[in-house]
Amino acid sequence: MDKRIIHIAVLFVTILLAQILIFNHILLFGIAAPLVLVYFIVRTPIDMGTNILLTLSFLLGLAVDICSDTPGLNALACTLTAVVKKPVFYAYVQHDDRMKGITPNILTLGLADYCKYLFTITGIFSFLVFSIEYFSFADIKEIFILTLGSTALTFLLLLGTDSLVTIRHDRRSK
Amino acid sequence: MRNLLNFLMKYSTWFVFAFYVLVSLILLFSFNTYQGAVYLTSANAVTGSVNEATSEITGYFNLRKINESLQASNAALENKVLNLTNEINHLKTLVDDSVRYAGLPPRFDYVTAAVINNSTRRPRNYFTINKGRADGIAPGMGVVDQNGVVGIVNVCGNHTSRVISVLTKDQPFSVKIKGTQFVGSLAWKENDAQSAWVEEIPRHARYRIGDTIVTSGFSTAFPEGIPVGTVMAQVKSGDSNFFTLKVHLSSDFNHLSTVRVIKDSLKPELDMLQRFDRKEE
Repeated sequence: MDKRIIHIAVLFVTILLAQILIFNHILLFGIAAPLVLVYFIVRTPIDMGTNILLTLSFLLGLAVDICSDTPGLNALACTLTAVVKKPVFYAYVQHDDRMKGITPNILTLGLADYCKYLFTITGIFSFLVFSIEYFSFADIKEIFILTLGSTALTFLLLLGTDSLVTIRHDRRSK
Repeated sequence: MRNLLNFLMKYSTWFVFAFYVLVSLILLFSFNTYQGAVYLTSANAVTGSVNEATSEITGYFNLRKINESLQASNAALENKVLNLTNEINHLKTLVDDSVRYAGLPPRFDYVTAAVINNSTRRPRNYFTINKGRADGIAPGMGVVDQNGVVGIVNVCGNHTSRVISVLTKDQPFSVKIKGTQFVGSLAWKENDAQSAWVEEIPRHARYRIGDTIVTSGFSTAFPEGIPVGTVMAQVKSGDSNFFTLKVHLSSDFNHLSTVRVIKDSLKPELDMLQRFDRKEE
């Protein structure tokens, strides 16, 4: 089986389990929830077909929804975030042959570009999740506070995880 | 077929995206009470405003039918009023009568008709209605619209009739000032569809500008009290014992649409008596 498929499958299952078993139960200071399932969208290879990315993102969101009793909420947020992944990526990274087929991480993009890319995707996803959850612009202030808190927490968590995973992987390959 | 497949393949991403969004929204609104309630409220508001706009537009298409049904119910009500007035007048004449009153048979009846042809600019104006002999219409019957007197049936076909308009020279109508017994004769003389003249009003009659002119009830064509117009001014008359009033006509003869023909059940009897009178003369 293709190594890349196994990698994506492991990523899918790991993120799903981490989200539903650990991070679903955390809400820091009442304003910051770690929404780590966005990491799947962030870390899938950039040349992955949009239809496949949409399908996997939708299924991941749906699985989290089923376990969290919020049917449709994460599935919708994941689908919408998946569709803007490429435009966001190419907003920070130039169209280049070297960028074809890469998996976005600190090593491939560099810390600065990767941080921008990760922060934007996380921000969009957090905003979508809380907008759909509140479903009313009368609560826009709370939506923004929760979005900022959750984006910051998720960004730090994912950046930390990414550093550990990537650096360990880099050492192993050397 | 190939073009269709090419089209589907080309835009497959958007179809897949739309499908997942749709499924997510269905799940969201079906299984989340709060989001479902918000969606239903917003959807109801949108549906309500769309329905309101639709009914405002389509409402105009039904106006003709509504107008016809209103005219019919108006005719029925006027008929009732006239017959009740008739009954009351009759009851007033019964003084301490021990015989039980059985009531009068209704005298007047109305037939609603649509105006299918109309003229207002000739010396003698006529209009045509879509009811005729088959509907019980006969020459000599009065015709009114929702505002007042408009003419008298002149010639009848099976399904259409020609009506002499009030706007006709040499066609007098017996009228009076409302609330008085001062009777005159309504005549139209000039090329103005909005005014006519009431002649032969006795000099001692009292009236004010704006008083209503109504039918006198002295003919079999019209019952008493149907509006004809309002007094505009007094004009000089050749005869010093009478004066002439200029009258603003109640009906808009340029826009006649639905009219009612008055059927008087006593008309044959009254006509026969009039013929008898003439023979004696």
